[in-house]
Amino acid sequence: MALWRFLTSLKTCAWAGLAFCVAGAVGSVVMGRYPELFADMDAQVFAGWFARKGFADPAPTLWLYGLLLATGLFAVNAACCTFERLVQIFRGTVTLRRLLPHVMHLAFLGVVLSHLVSAVYGDRIPGVAIPQGGFAPVGGTGLAMRLDRFDAVMAPEGYPIDFSATVTLFRDTTAVARGVVRTNEPLFHEGYGIYIKNFGTTPWGAPYAVFDANRDPGATAILAASLLFTAANLLYLFPSRRADA
Amino acid sequence: MEGAHLIPFWLALAAYGAEAGFRLAGVAPSSVRKSPLFAGVLLHAAFLGLRWGLSGHAPMAGLFESLTVFSFCCAVAGLVLCRSEETAAAWKPLSILVLLPQAGAALIDKRMTPPYPALDTPWFATHVGLSFLGYGFFAAGLALGIVYLRVGGDAVYRAAGRSALYGFSAFSAGMVCGGIWAYYAWGSYWIWTPKEIWSVIVWIYFATLAHLKFIPAQDGWPGWTKRLEMGATAAGYGVVLLTFLGVSLLLRSSHSF
Repeated sequence: MALWRFLTSLKTCAWAGLAFCVAGAVGSVVMGRYPELFADMDAQVFAGWFARKGFADPAPTLWLYGLLLATGLFAVNAACCTFERLVQIFRGTVTLRRLLPHVMHLAFLGVVLSHLVSAVYGDRIPGVAIPQGGFAPVGGTGLAMRLDRFDAVMAPEGYPIDFSATVTLFRDTTAVARGVVRTNEPLFHEGYGIYIKNFGTTPWGAPYAVFDANRDPGATAILAASLLFTAANLLYLFPSRRADA
Repeated sequence: MEGAHLIPFWLALAAYGAEAGFRLAGVAPSSVRKSPLFAGVLLHAAFLGLRWGLSGHAPMAGLFESLTVFSFCCAVAGLVLCRSEETAAAWKPLSILVLLPQAGAALIDKRMTPPYPALDTPWFATHVGLSFLGYGFFAAGLALGIVYLRVGGDAVYRAAGRSALYGFSAFSAGMVCGGIWAYYAWGSYWIWTPKEIWSVIVWIYFATLAHLKFIPAQDGWPGWTKRLEMGATAAGYGVVLLTFLGVSLLLRSSHSF
């Protein structure tokens, strides 16, 4: 019972929130102090990075342990609170107003769990550089990518206004997907998003483009949970305004 | 036209300056709609609309545009929350919070940011706009929190509570839009940079604050009371400033100016 009271307590929520803020604030500074440690944090999924660096060099990553523990406690607290309150709500008068905070809790849990899925089962393949007309393997996916055509529109001042790449994805010798990739418009295939990151000219004068291929298996669920959270949050505002008017 | 579009910016700055001057001198307009600040907000909206049309993207890129949008959102949040006679006292600190970022913007380079490809998406305007709207409500929370701590009042307490709730809601929606934008533009809804971490700190801070309201005052330490809650609401603005300016200016981040 003492453990359950702890897990459902608003004070636990407060302490977890405070711990997250402190750990995050420390981490934002530590990241700048150890660029050699944290620079490649986004070049692979979090679980892989943490398994290599978090355990090998624990001192500068202590804040991450705190951040993860606080997030976990925050999530468990939200889950237990919602379970306890929903039982009470469904035993009494059920109103949308009473349910909405718990819809937000559940959506928050959805985001945390989906992010966990992406952090463990996702994939990051950075820096796939291909000259126009050339091929390159897309990491260990078994896919190969051909850059069919690269186009860039440059402003007179020298910065790019628009750039796009027409690419074809092959599995073995069969073309399985073809499309145009530009900023804000990736090409999706087999759960991977192909993103154009950079471009330039090879020493022999042909244009080349650099791509990232990322897989986030939790992304769709995160989007759905985030939208659910936002909808419940916005709905929660209206009764509040009427009540306070 | 590029230079002329700054005229409403300067006029808005003058209006905000007049509002702050009047408030500090103890002169209050008969109603918010007859205040210099209200005129300033209209001029400011005209300026932002003109700049949007001229630059081809939402005027929220770079330090100048960020500061002036921040000022605009503080003013709008104040107009939403501080309309009653009881909450009017909050205009004294709030008019300064509106003026300072606009004055800061006046001091720096006002050239338009080029229309970089990544900005060519509606998620840019929604992400940044909603985030700054959240910041504006948090600024109003600071002003209302100060007034509550000094003179109290149920209407001020409720308005301060709404500032945290509205700010949290706008900021949350802004984070969602930012995640969607980042996913399509850079291949991940989340990257590990100080700005992203501090954005979540702001979110967690105000989420926690929203929960603390429900801890009974007699329920042992920390003895959560209205005064402590108002203090934390006001202090939240410090967390916002650290996130917006501190991290963007001092630490390396995808959001650095």
